[in-house]
Amino acid sequence: MKTNFQTLILKLQEFWSQKGCVILQPYDAEVGAGTFHPATTLKALGPKPWRAAYVQPSRRPADGRYGENPNRLYRHHQYQVILKPSPPDVQDIYLESLKYIGLDPALHDIRFVEDDWESPTLGASGLGWEVWGDGQEITQFTYFQQVGGFPCDPVPAELTYGLERLAQVLQGIENVYDLDWNNPEGESPMTYGDVALQMEQEFSAFSFEHADAAMIFRHFEDAESMCRHLVENKLVLPAYEYCLKASHLFNLLDARGVLSVTERANYIGHVRTLARQCCELWMENVNG
Amino acid sequence: MAEWLLEIFSEEIPSRMQKGAQEQLGALAKAHLLKEGLSFNTIHTFVTPRRLTLVVEGLPLRTPEKIEEKRGPRIDASPAALEGFLKGENVRREDCVVKETPKGNFLFVVKKEPGGSTPEILSSLTPRLLEQFRWAKSMRWGNISTPWVRPIRNFLSLFEGNIVPFSYAGVNSSNQTQGHRFLAPGPFTVHNFEDYQEKLRKHFVILDWNERRSLIHQGMTQIAQESNLKLLEDEALLDEVAGLVEWPVPLKGAVDSHFMNLPREVITTPMRVHQRYFPFENANGKLAPTFGVVANLETRDKGKTIVIGNERVLRARLADAQFFWEQDQKKPLETYNTNLKTRLFHQQLGSLFDKVERLIKLSSHIAKTLKADPQTMKWVERAALLSKADLASHMVGEFPELQGIMGRYYAQNQGEASEVSQAIEEHYWPINANDKRIPTTIESIILAIADRIDTLVGFFAIGIIPSGSKDPFALRRAGHALIRLCRESEKLPEISILNLLEKAYDTYEWSNVTPPHLKSKEETVRDLWKFLIECYKFWLKAFGVRHDYIDAVLGVADEDSNFKSLHGRAASLVLNSQLQQFSQNNLDLLTAYKRAANILKIESTKDKKSYEEGVREDLLIAPEEKQLFTRLSEESAKIQALAQEKKYSEAIQRLATLRDPVDLFFDKVMVNVKEDAVRTNRLHLLALLRKTFHQVADFSKIEG
Repeated sequence: MKTNFQTLILKLQEFWSQKGCVILQPYDAEVGAGTFHPATTLKALGPKPWRAAYVQPSRRPADGRYGENPNRLYRHHQYQVILKPSPPDVQDIYLESLKYIGLDPALHDIRFVEDDWESPTLGASGLGWEVWGDGQEITQFTYFQQVGGFPCDPVPAELTYGLERLAQVLQGIENVYDLDWNNPEGESPMTYGDVALQMEQEFSAFSFEHADAAMIFRHFEDAESMCRHLVENKLVLPAYEYCLKASHLFNLLDARGVLSVTERANYIGHVRTLARQCCELWMENVNG
Repeated sequence: MAEWLLEIFSEEIPSRMQKGAQEQLGALAKAHLLKEGLSFNTIHTFVTPRRLTLVVEGLPLRTPEKIEEKRGPRIDASPAALEGFLKGENVRREDCVVKETPKGNFLFVVKKEPGGSTPEILSSLTPRLLEQFRWAKSMRWGNISTPWVRPIRNFLSLFEGNIVPFSYAGVNSSNQTQGHRFLAPGPFTVHNFEDYQEKLRKHFVILDWNERRSLIHQGMTQIAQESNLKLLEDEALLDEVAGLVEWPVPLKGAVDSHFMNLPREVITTPMRVHQRYFPFENANGKLAPTFGVVANLETRDKGKTIVIGNERVLRARLADAQFFWEQDQKKPLETYNTNLKTRLFHQQLGSLFDKVERLIKLSSHIAKTLKADPQTMKWVERAALLSKADLASHMVGEFPELQGIMGRYYAQNQGEASEVSQAIEEHYWPINANDKRIPTTIESIILAIADRIDTLVGFFAIGIIPSGSKDPFALRRAGHALIRLCRESEKLPEISILNLLEKAYDTYEWSNVTPPHLKSKEETVRDLWKFLIECYKFWLKAFGVRHDYIDAVLGVADEDSNFKSLHGRAASLVLNSQLQQFSQNNLDLLTAYKRAANILKIESTKDKKSYEEGVREDLLIAPEEKQLFTRLSEESAKIQALAQEKKYSEAIQRLATLRDPVDLFFDKVMVNVKEDAVRTNRLHLLALLRKTFHQVADFSKIEG
């Protein structure tokens, strides 16, 4: 039977749990990628070993397509794994996980294609690949080199599975909304569209048409000053949460098309500064 | 004679870095072996996505014993000197020998350094070699701080079949390696290079990059033949794919027919750039609904699953492209210019919209200079207005490679004149040094030149000038493109670049952008002109033109700031054997010319006069100077006419006919005579001689 969307998640949870990861829940604030979860951004820094895995719903307001594009989503799901330090057989473990979810590497063409990763808002970068399955990018595989401007030592490996794309490969489905979310032969079969279409439609309308730019600009300023205030008081986790809020508000402004190129760079710079301050504070604590 | 085999086994090396790494490994190995005194017959290197391999043949088992003889003091030297020598060399008197030399009997010490065992030398040499290896981009992993392009997972290092022990980046060397990741997982033992290559093949790895590349090419050609199609050759894509697979398996996929109405480039760009697929065309030269993909393995379903998957991905990509194609054409092309207002060309140089406004002015100025007819003028301005609009389209946002091409399609479809739509695409040509294309119409050329000049003048004015390897705005590429446009274009009549540079500076509205360090017009033009001359010089040198010829041609560049005619001069100097003959056969003429130029230089500095008023015939006395004047008067006009028609080789031939009168003049006539009027007149005659030569080139720069 073809792996449905929720089984895919359950299998990955099971697999990475067996590999010694703590299985976490998604971060309960809007983020653009699993990398932004403090379990990755902050935990990637400092000397302590760390293995974690979790699903992260990821919001990208500019990618919303009112549910009309078969591949682009306002909110997609990532499965995020962080392994610090990166184990010597990390590629093999990853390929084992593909087998575990039903993707047979003897039948599919799995390839590691150069793709260096960079997040200007987090001041983070790494080297690695995008992993292809029959020409489809299914995972971003990165060795973090720095986060928040700090070098990572030891170096973590970050695996980010694109769950919708992976499910599309597994189920042989072209339109994301046609994916089976649960067992199609069960009592109450649901497709991806049944579960997520309304959200795509309404949040696309929100971010492209109804988001009040003036209000979001204010919220951005508020989030920024709250973050600074919390940094001054050495509360790293709440401070970082407000950095995430600022980042999401910036994404909303970007999608709304109200930022010129210069302003855009300027706002990215502001978020990066907040992220760096949070990381700085984190490093003081873990090393102190 | 023995063999050393080294394999650095790592996670996937980026394709674009593989060839360079292969070369670097060979060069480093050679340098290190020679430094250690190890001779060898051959060095070969290989690269696949997961391994970098070196094999050295013909190494000795040991390095030879080194014998060094050192001379000490004479035997009758003072005891202190003797003592000092012995102490310095750490030897006793009885270790030394006495040798007779022409300067007397000296003390010698002979030191023998035993040779080393080759495997021991290789053990210590390898980590040093690896440490010196440089990747364009390298990384750290795990707890390892040693950088490499991707994590190193194994070393295979054998000398005569035995492990050469060493450790690097936390990995110990071994006599094992691994084959294909999926088709033959797990390690195996290797005995020597022949065994290595054979076993790799059995484990589904083709070690030789060239072999993989030609297998891929053959596979694609075969797909073409079977389907009665023609492969669209793409060397760069072949190179890239050869670095993405260890076991290439060519497969054929189909493109959904309903996408085939999209423009050709819109289909092939996602194919090549995003998916690394090979496109084909049918017998009529139309794009075929077929693609070739190279998998890294054979499967039990003969690649069926892989092809279905790849077809699905391509459908999604083309569905995106189709969407962009339709969305983009819902609005007229010029309305996209509004979006260019918020797109920066450069922070200090304004938006792309500002650039478009300047391009309209500058290209219209060029058209006027070239005395274009009113229709051409209109087309040039229209093309300039639309030239950058497609940068704001969805399609170019997704596929930046399609800039200009989409502009052409969108312009065509909204009914623009073909001169306009063509210029929108062609003004980017040549897009790089390997691009053989040059704009074909006068409208395209004008716009292409205006675009390059606008960019160059802007960046030079705010002090952004390429230096060393730093050239983030690709100004060298723009400079070379500008020169090529001027040089190669058949449609472009004479045009003074210096004038255009000045005009381009004036076209910038500096008061609106206020860069912190704005250079004056004079300084900008001077620096940029110097830079362009350097670009041209670089090109001539790369072409193998003798440096003195280059200097001769560029000696007149300031008076003739036109690369087309400069190039005509250079080409005739180089290609024309007349000139070489001229230099060989007319050494005395050249010498005479240089003498004339020298005298003039000295006298005019002394007199603070330039001697350009012309010769007075009534003051000519000697028959030889009369004859020289007559001949120069005849030839100078002819040579000038030939130079204007760019017939430089004929002009050179005419110069050669001046040999006899010039010789006779210097034989019989004295320049610096007492009668001032006669002297001045003779200097004027020399100035005429120099001027006549200068119509072709600055011959004082030619060695001979």
